[in-house]
Amino acid sequence: MSPTSVTPASESLAAAFAPPHGEPGWLAEARLAALGSFQAAGLPTTRLEDWRTTSLAPLSALTLFRPRPDAEGPDLKALLERAGRLDGPRLVFVNGRYRPDLTRLTGLPAGATLLALGDAIREVPDRVRPHLFRLAHPEAGALTAASAALFEDGAFLHLPGGAAVAPPIRIIHVGGAPGGVAAAFPRLLVVAGEGALCTVLEHYLGMDDQAYLVAPVAELVLGAGARVDHYRFQEDGAAAFHLASVHVEQAAGSHFLSHALSLGARLSRSEVHARMNGEDGECRLSGLSLADGHRLSGHLSVVEHAAPRCTTQETFKAILDGHARAVFSGRIRVLPGAQKTQAYQSSSNLLLSDDATVNTSPQLEIFADDVKCGHGGTVGRLDETSLFYLRSRGLDEAAARSLLIYAFAAELVEAVRPEPLRARARALVAARLPGGVRLLEAA
Amino acid sequence: MSGEVLLEIRGLTARVGEKEILKGLDLTVRAGEVHAIMGPNGSGKSTLAGVLAGRDAFEVTGGSVRYDGQDLLALPPEARAARGVFLGFQYPVEIPGVGNLYFLRTALNALRRARGEEELDAMDFLSLAKEKMKLVELDPAFGSRSVNEGFSGGEKKRNEIFQMAVLEPRLAILDEIDSGLDIDALRVVSKGVNALRRADRAVLLVTHYQRLLDHITPDAVHVMAAGRIVRSGGRELAKELEQTGYAWAAEKPPLGLSPPQHLHGQRARP
Repeated sequence: MSPTSVTPASESLAAAFAPPHGEPGWLAEARLAALGSFQAAGLPTTRLEDWRTTSLAPLSALTLFRPRPDAEGPDLKALLERAGRLDGPRLVFVNGRYRPDLTRLTGLPAGATLLALGDAIREVPDRVRPHLFRLAHPEAGALTAASAALFEDGAFLHLPGGAAVAPPIRIIHVGGAPGGVAAAFPRLLVVAGEGALCTVLEHYLGMDDQAYLVAPVAELVLGAGARVDHYRFQEDGAAAFHLASVHVEQAAGSHFLSHALSLGARLSRSEVHARMNGEDGECRLSGLSLADGHRLSGHLSVVEHAAPRCTTQETFKAILDGHARAVFSGRIRVLPGAQKTQAYQSSSNLLLSDDATVNTSPQLEIFADDVKCGHGGTVGRLDETSLFYLRSRGLDEAAARSLLIYAFAAELVEAVRPEPLRARARALVAARLPGGVRLLEAA
Repeated sequence: MSGEVLLEIRGLTARVGEKEILKGLDLTVRAGEVHAIMGPNGSGKSTLAGVLAGRDAFEVTGGSVRYDGQDLLALPPEARAARGVFLGFQYPVEIPGVGNLYFLRTALNALRRARGEEELDAMDFLSLAKEKMKLVELDPAFGSRSVNEGFSGGEKKRNEIFQMAVLEPRLAILDEIDSGLDIDALRVVSKGVNALRRADRAVLLVTHYQRLLDHITPDAVHVMAAGRIVRSGGRELAKELEQTGYAWAAEKPPLGLSPPQHLHGQRARP
């Protein structure tokens, strides 16, 4: 075994271990054990296969701290304004700490439970305990361990069988604290009963001029025939580190959608781990990375087909400028007996500069003989003929370029299904493209 | 009766990579005229169309092109468009994710801005677009689809003519607008072109086949071969080509054939 490298980041995180008072014994024990796992593992390094192309060295060198609940924070008013004024349930967290004063827990059907995780552990422990840490096991990796040991709070949604929540549930995470590198480990736990239906949006924003770490972990349990659409709009600050993992378990006939717009952060990594345990499930994973400068944006997914007749559809895109880098890694494992599996993944990348790079690795591991699996990928530049076509109609070069760049992204912007969220997605993506806002004015 | 000289090409040479495609081409087009450029594959017809619209892939190595009294070759493609040059593409480009009408309104307003005119708001544009869609018998559903995405060959060509009808160019260059069209689509496309004809506008039809000229009557027909115009005449020349084909043009050197300025008696050099 290689010795664990103790870094300022891992050391400062371990030192910040301070579980809330009054937590139940099972949780306190789990936190302690997870702290041990994290200290043994340290932050991931490029020696690990899954992290080979994503170096956390810039994060490891930092000393992290966890701001007190009453600490001075970022400009909440401006950031919440950016998140959009939308109706419907909303939970707000600042550096991982719950802000009930900014939260709105209304608009839910009878029997549905939407709470801050800390409150849920106190009020409905029997609903939390069977699932918390089950899919995102602390032993599975250093970051899930750190999350279990250090999480401040999170969101908890429980839907009984047949419950349908129409409005999207928005969970807004604001990051960054003056005077230091804040770290936050927010969690999300969704338990959707048989045939339940909901849409959840996690929206990440934060300070642009201050580095911070946000390492969210989500666990979603889908009962038979349930449908959960999980969106993540990641527009963290330009100096932020965003290391997210989403863990999903799907029962028969369930539909899961994960869609991430990874727009901000200096280093962004979004992992989705899905396991399809029942027949006829559907798993749709998609993500859009926009990066410039020296930023890095990665989407990783591992989907396990453990039952017959399930489908997986993955669509990932990246638009890169400057020296930016995108990482795509998609592993699909078709386990013995998972016949009639259909799985397809695609990774398309648009490079706007000579210095931008893409690391893409599709991996199909198939242990069944009657399956349809495939993958496709492209890495390209803006098409010269298309540019000329637009210019020949009167668009200047800059306008033609921005229209084509937006068009490349459009498929994944339009993939946001609820209209109010789609309108936000359009605005967020356009705002980050050259001349982009003008694109929308004419629409 | 013809108007002022709108386009004057003199000794134009151009290449793609190392390959010389245009080898000294002369052509004069006056306002109000429709000219057909015919010729075998590889004779340089599409290169001529691309050079006039400003396509980067073609490098102009010599000669001059004056359009409406200006040096056309000095202008980027969008400035040519703003001055009224329109190229109908042989292979219209698919642009997934960009709505057809959205794109066209962006283009029209870019042209209007460049000309110092007021931009058209969404309502006014929509009524203009509807009127022009009717002209080219384009289903209004095509307005909200992505530009050319999933369109059939004929639909793409109709869409080009639709764009032309909305943008109202002074010089329309239509590159093999008839290729791949059935007789119905050919009729519609021709109707669109004929509707554009006006005393202050001109059309350059690049075509391989004479059948388009049954629907659009040209004022002049030119035959290109090996990068030059080797013969010019009236509409009867197209009929003749239908009988003889282009084999003669490829075999004979261009010199010794009647040069274009001798035809029609309307091409006296200034």
